[in-house]
Amino acid sequence: MDLPLLELTKLLPRWVDIENLLQDELEARFILKKATSHMEKLQTGISGGDSDEEEEIRYLICALVDRNWERIHTGHFSSVSLNIRKIYAIGCYFKIFFLLLEDTSPAQKEVCSGILDEAQLLGCMEDWSELKVALMDYLDKGKEENPKLLPVLEPLLRVSCTCDIPQLDAPNLKEFQTKCFQAEQPTLLLNTIEHWPARKKWLDLNYLLKVAGNRTVPIEIGSNYASDEWSQQLVKIRDFLERQFSTKKANQEIEYLAQHELFSQIPALKSDISIPDYCSISKDDPPGSVDIKAWLGPAGTISAMHYDPKHNLLCQVFGSKRIILAAPKDTENLYPHESEFLGNTSQIDAAKLDMVAYPLLENVKFYELLLQPGDCLYMPPKWWHYVRSAAPSFSVSFWWE
Amino acid sequence: MRRLLFTGFNAFGQHEFVNGNAADCNAGFSELKAPFSDKNQCTISIAWRYSALAFGRKLWLRGLLAECPNECVTLEAPGDIKALAAGDTHCLVLLHNGQLYRVKPNLKAELLPVRLEAPPRSNSGTKRSIFGIPKVPELSIEHIACGSHINVAVSSENAVYSIPSCLHQFPGRQFRVKQLECGHEHAVLLNGNGDVFTWGNGLRGQLGQAVLKVEEAPLLVEALAGIKITRIAAGGWHSAAISAFGDLYTWGLNCSGQLGVRVMKPGGLLKEPTVYPLPQLHDLPECGCSTKSDHSDDDCAPLGVFAGSRHTLLIRRCGGLWATGWCRYSQLGKQLHLQHKNLSYLDVFQPLDGIALDTTSDRVLCGPWSTVIFCGKKSED
Repeated sequence: MDLPLLELTKLLPRWVDIENLLQDELEARFILKKATSHMEKLQTGISGGDSDEEEEIRYLICALVDRNWERIHTGHFSSVSLNIRKIYAIGCYFKIFFLLLEDTSPAQKEVCSGILDEAQLLGCMEDWSELKVALMDYLDKGKEENPKLLPVLEPLLRVSCTCDIPQLDAPNLKEFQTKCFQAEQPTLLLNTIEHWPARKKWLDLNYLLKVAGNRTVPIEIGSNYASDEWSQQLVKIRDFLERQFSTKKANQEIEYLAQHELFSQIPALKSDISIPDYCSISKDDPPGSVDIKAWLGPAGTISAMHYDPKHNLLCQVFGSKRIILAAPKDTENLYPHESEFLGNTSQIDAAKLDMVAYPLLENVKFYELLLQPGDCLYMPPKWWHYVRSAAPSFSVSFWWE
Repeated sequence: MRRLLFTGFNAFGQHEFVNGNAADCNAGFSELKAPFSDKNQCTISIAWRYSALAFGRKLWLRGLLAECPNECVTLEAPGDIKALAAGDTHCLVLLHNGQLYRVKPNLKAELLPVRLEAPPRSNSGTKRSIFGIPKVPELSIEHIACGSHINVAVSSENAVYSIPSCLHQFPGRQFRVKQLECGHEHAVLLNGNGDVFTWGNGLRGQLGQAVLKVEEAPLLVEALAGIKITRIAAGGWHSAAISAFGDLYTWGLNCSGQLGVRVMKPGGLLKEPTVYPLPQLHDLPECGCSTKSDHSDDDCAPLGVFAGSRHTLLIRRCGGLWATGWCRYSQLGKQLHLQHKNLSYLDVFQPLDGIALDTTSDRVLCGPWSTVIFCGKKSED
């Protein structure tokens, strides 16, 4: 085993760290006990590694990961216990180490990178973030830099246009609380994220490629998630950026990195933004956690008319988005889908209203606006919104209760 | 000779083999140790970490029951065992007399009677005894099935239970439940008429209904209405059916190729994860079998279908065994892995070479990550 890898094993969970977690988990107890004790033996150098035993544990660890993948995919994701997601993540860490014990070739590291990203997507990794970052560094090391160059985007010039909702120039907390939060008033907040390093840094797509290129993320394919043609794929950010943003762009489907917790996956990007103070205004005391999601895509990405259950601050880092809003009181007139998955999504095309098929739309008051770079849109819970990017765009949304 | 052939996940010693791990047929299945006699039928059900095997009144649980692999407990039921349904946290045990028990898969396992709620009304009506006291009809269970998030029983009076509560009452006389199967979180029921009903969690398309949602009670699969279905199967998050015309339908989640529906995106990527909410009719490739003399498609029409967590098997009339789906744990036989190293799934139905079934007697059963074939011929060799 190479030395850097041996160093890394010290960050792996030890049996004492996880024993409590596994109280009622027979199979995880049996398998992780074997795995942790094998790793301890390797660290102390007692064993050069019994290869049969190692092979057996590798098989068991893979089975544990696959088994918990199935458990995570049974029932609503929201009702899957945190314990199962933690066991999944721990299983993934050990799987990566047992694969690297077998082989540390670039191809194997690539496989391990993919496992780490999947653990990020499905598992709960909070307890072991130091290991995650160290492992990411180890796996990315020695990768040849991509010679292909991505463009540096020109900052968009501000255009003046009509805005159907109130605008406030960098309101203070009190002002936000009374005029927006308590009044349940969607508002365009200007000049509130100018200090983010992201505003300049991210325009250089090569920077994103360098920091995030090797990470795998879920990408939405097809312009509208409510259509039949839509699908989701796990792809490397590198491939996604090259397909969607390189200068000689091939004629191909629109892909959208949407609603993804990119910043817990890639801590380096998180230091380019900061959680706006407005998110601390809450009915709960103390305020709960804030979900931070990334939305990156070319011009033409569409989020069909839908609503979210939480307060939402949508911050535009670069590019612009055309947004159409409608109030919660118009829900009955907006034809939500029947299925459970799409119950918060309207069947209408907000950009092209079909009054014949959907006559109740006559009663709806729509509000239109253009979200420009540096702007933030505050939306109270359950406000309907349709979003279409008018240029290559990167937005960050903050959801809180 | 009667024997049980097994392939799949056995890391916890859930199964005991006659010849160790050696393959006992060319497709790479191994023969299981199991008690057999000509009179009694042996029943088996497989959960992820243990297996349950019954013979007469005797019940064996094997696997990881407490701390380590190869743990085994033996129990005796009050009567002959008709059916088993092994789930993660308990195993349902149905006796020939219609009584239902459950047992926890641990070292202190004991059979506990399952108490079911009375159905809202009885089909037969309560009869008065000669003393004028209404007699409570004895509840007799006919079918059981379970998954990780679902436990179902159907009574001889056609009451459907989500154990222990009564979900639904099918009409009495003409309605006969022919087959009941469960996935991880959904149930599929076939009646004698050839109608298919589904309920449970349908968010991955497993119910065969146009809208993805949870159905609390049995609902007719409209897409198959009017087609006489003869066999059904429920995998983890998918389902399958065979019609009297010899057509095969599959629906639900196709994350590991378990539907046998290959869909490529432009650019050669497999479209995933993909959900097919409506039954997909299969155009099966011609069977390359040598048994047929005259060339007739009927000779190789699908006869039976079986499903595990993410794999599906199909028996064709000629005795050919075809399979699709996940095979990382040798669910589809070890032979495939000799041909293709690192194969993790098949995304179209393919014949499993080296195995031919006697369609009059052989049966197939899937565990979550395994496959068992009952070779049912009475001993002669």
